[in-house]
Amino acid sequence: MPILEADKLTYTYAPGTPFKHTAVNNISFSVEKGEITGIIGHTGSGKSTLLQLLNGLLKPTSGRVLLDGKDIWEEPKNISAIRFKIGLVFQYPEYQLFEETVKQDIAYGPKNMKLNDEEIEQRIVSAASIVGLKDGLLDKSPFDLSGGEKRRVAIAGIMAMQPEIIVFDEPTAGLDPQGRETVFNAIREYRKQNNATVIIVSHSMEDMASICDKIIVLNDGEAVLHDSVDNVFKNSEFLKSIGLNVPYVTKIMLSLKERGFDVPTDVFTVDNAAKVLLSLIKGGASLD
Amino acid sequence: MISDITFGQYFPAESVIHRLDPRTKFLMLIFIIVLIFLATDFYGMAVVLALCLAVMLLSKIPFKMYFKNLKAILPVLLLTAIINSLYVKEGTVLFDKWIITITSGGIYKAVFMAVRIALLIIISSTLTYTTTPNDLTDAIERLCKPLKYIGLGSAVHMLTMMMTIALRFIPTLIEETQKIMNAQKARGADIENGGLISRVKALVPILIPLIILSVRRAYDLAEAMECRCYNGGVGKQRMKQLKFGSRDAVAVVICFAWAAVIIALRILLG
Repeated sequence: MPILEADKLTYTYAPGTPFKHTAVNNISFSVEKGEITGIIGHTGSGKSTLLQLLNGLLKPTSGRVLLDGKDIWEEPKNISAIRFKIGLVFQYPEYQLFEETVKQDIAYGPKNMKLNDEEIEQRIVSAASIVGLKDGLLDKSPFDLSGGEKRRVAIAGIMAMQPEIIVFDEPTAGLDPQGRETVFNAIREYRKQNNATVIIVSHSMEDMASICDKIIVLNDGEAVLHDSVDNVFKNSEFLKSIGLNVPYVTKIMLSLKERGFDVPTDVFTVDNAAKVLLSLIKGGASLD
Repeated sequence: MISDITFGQYFPAESVIHRLDPRTKFLMLIFIIVLIFLATDFYGMAVVLALCLAVMLLSKIPFKMYFKNLKAILPVLLLTAIINSLYVKEGTVLFDKWIITITSGGIYKAVFMAVRIALLIIISSTLTYTTTPNDLTDAIERLCKPLKYIGLGSAVHMLTMMMTIALRFIPTLIEETQKIMNAQKARGADIENGGLISRVKALVPILIPLIILSVRRAYDLAEAMECRCYNGGVGKQRMKQLKFGSRDAVAVVICFAWAAVIIALRILLG
C-alpha cells in the first residue's frame, strides 16, 4: 500500500472574489514508502500549494490526502499530529529561525511534540550530524551563521521531529554548489537512517535527475506526468512546451545526436554522461 | 483568519466610482462623513442612507465585501447599542426591573447610533475598495500641496511616501506572516488553541522572524530607492497626472444637492 496518496486534490484560493484562482486542480498520485519523489513545474504551477495540502496546512477544497490509507482530515483536531508525521521544509526555511541558540531552535519542533528532554537532546545531536553542523555551532545564535549554515539548521529543525515523510520546497534555492551538495547529502542520509519517504520540489533538473526515483510534472495546477526519472526526461519536447527543461547533460547528448554521433539520449547525470562519452571516444569517434 | 482583513484592500472593478479622481473621492468622503453627523433624526439618516446605498451600488463592489467589514466591528456596534439603550432615558418606559430601565428613546438612540457607525464604516470602505493605495496617497499629497507655502513641502512628501510604503507593504506583511505561521505550524506550533498565556507565547516564534524580515526589507528598499536617485521628492516628475473631469463635477454636485436636502430637512422639521 502506498504511504501517501493524493486523491483528486483541488484547492481554490479566494473563492467567490475576482482574485479566485484554482492552484491545484484534480491531482491524484501515490507515493511508495522510501521513495524520493520530485515535483517539477514552472512558477505558479501549484507546487507550493500542493505541498501545503500534503501536510495539512491547507484544507483541500475537494479531494483527500491519504496517509497510510487514512484521510488526514478525518479528525481535524489531530491535524498537528499529522504534521509531525509529514514534515514540511519551506522555501527559505532560514526565515523561520527565532531562538537564541541553534540548539534551542532545532529543539522547537520536538518540544512541541512533548518529548522528554533526553529524547530531545538525542534528536538534536542526530539531526545536527545528519545536516553536517559542527558541534561548536550548536550554542551560537542562528543569526550569526552563514546562509548555508542557517539553511541546514532550519532543515535540522524539521528532521529532529523525525517525520516518516519529509517534504522539501526548493531546499537548495540560493545556495552555492557546495551548499547544494551538503543539503542533498543530508536528505539522502536522513532517508537512509529513518527509512523515510522524501518529496522534493526543485527548479534544478540536474538535482532532480540525480536524487529522485520518480518525478511528478505539474502544469497549471494539473499533474501531467508521473513516472520514473528516465521516462519523464525522455519527453524533452513536451517539457519545453510547458516551460520546463531537461538536465544540461541531456541537452548535450541531444545535440550530439543531432550532429550525427551515435549516443544515447537518456543520460541525465554528469557521471553517466562521462561514461558514455568515454566509451564513445575509445570506440574511435572524434568529438571535435 | 488573517487573510480576512479586507479593510484598506483595493477591489478591482469597472465602475464610475473607481474612475473618479481620487482627490474627489477623498474630499467627498469627508463631506459625506460630515453629512452623516449632520443628520440628527431618522429622516436625515434615511436621506444619507439613500446616498450611501447609491454609492455602494455604483461602486459595483459585492455587498458581501461591505458586510465582511461590518462583521469585524460588530462588537463595537453592539456595545454602543447596549450602552445607549441602557443610559438614554427619554420617552416612554418599555421595561423596568432592578437597575435596568429601557425607554423608547433609548432604543431609538441605540438603533440610530448603530446605523450611524455602520454608515461611517461602509462609506470609508468604499473609498479604500475603489482606490488603489497609490492613488490615495497621491491624492493626499496633492491636497496637502498648499502646505508648502508654510515650509512644509518636503514634510508632506515624506509623510505621504511613508504612507505609500506602509500601505504597499501591508499585503506583503500579511503574506509573510502567513508564511512564517505556516512554517512554525509545520513544526508543531499551536496558535489557535490554548489559554491566553500560551497563545501569547506562541506568537514569539512568529513575531521575531517577522521583525527581522521587515528590518531587512526596509534596508533593501532604502538602498533600492537610493540607487534610483531618490532624494526626498525634490523636483520629482509624475508619470501619472491626476485630472478633474466632468464626472468629478457631477459627483460634487450630487453630494452638495444631498447636503442641501439634509439641511433643509433639519430646518423644516427641527
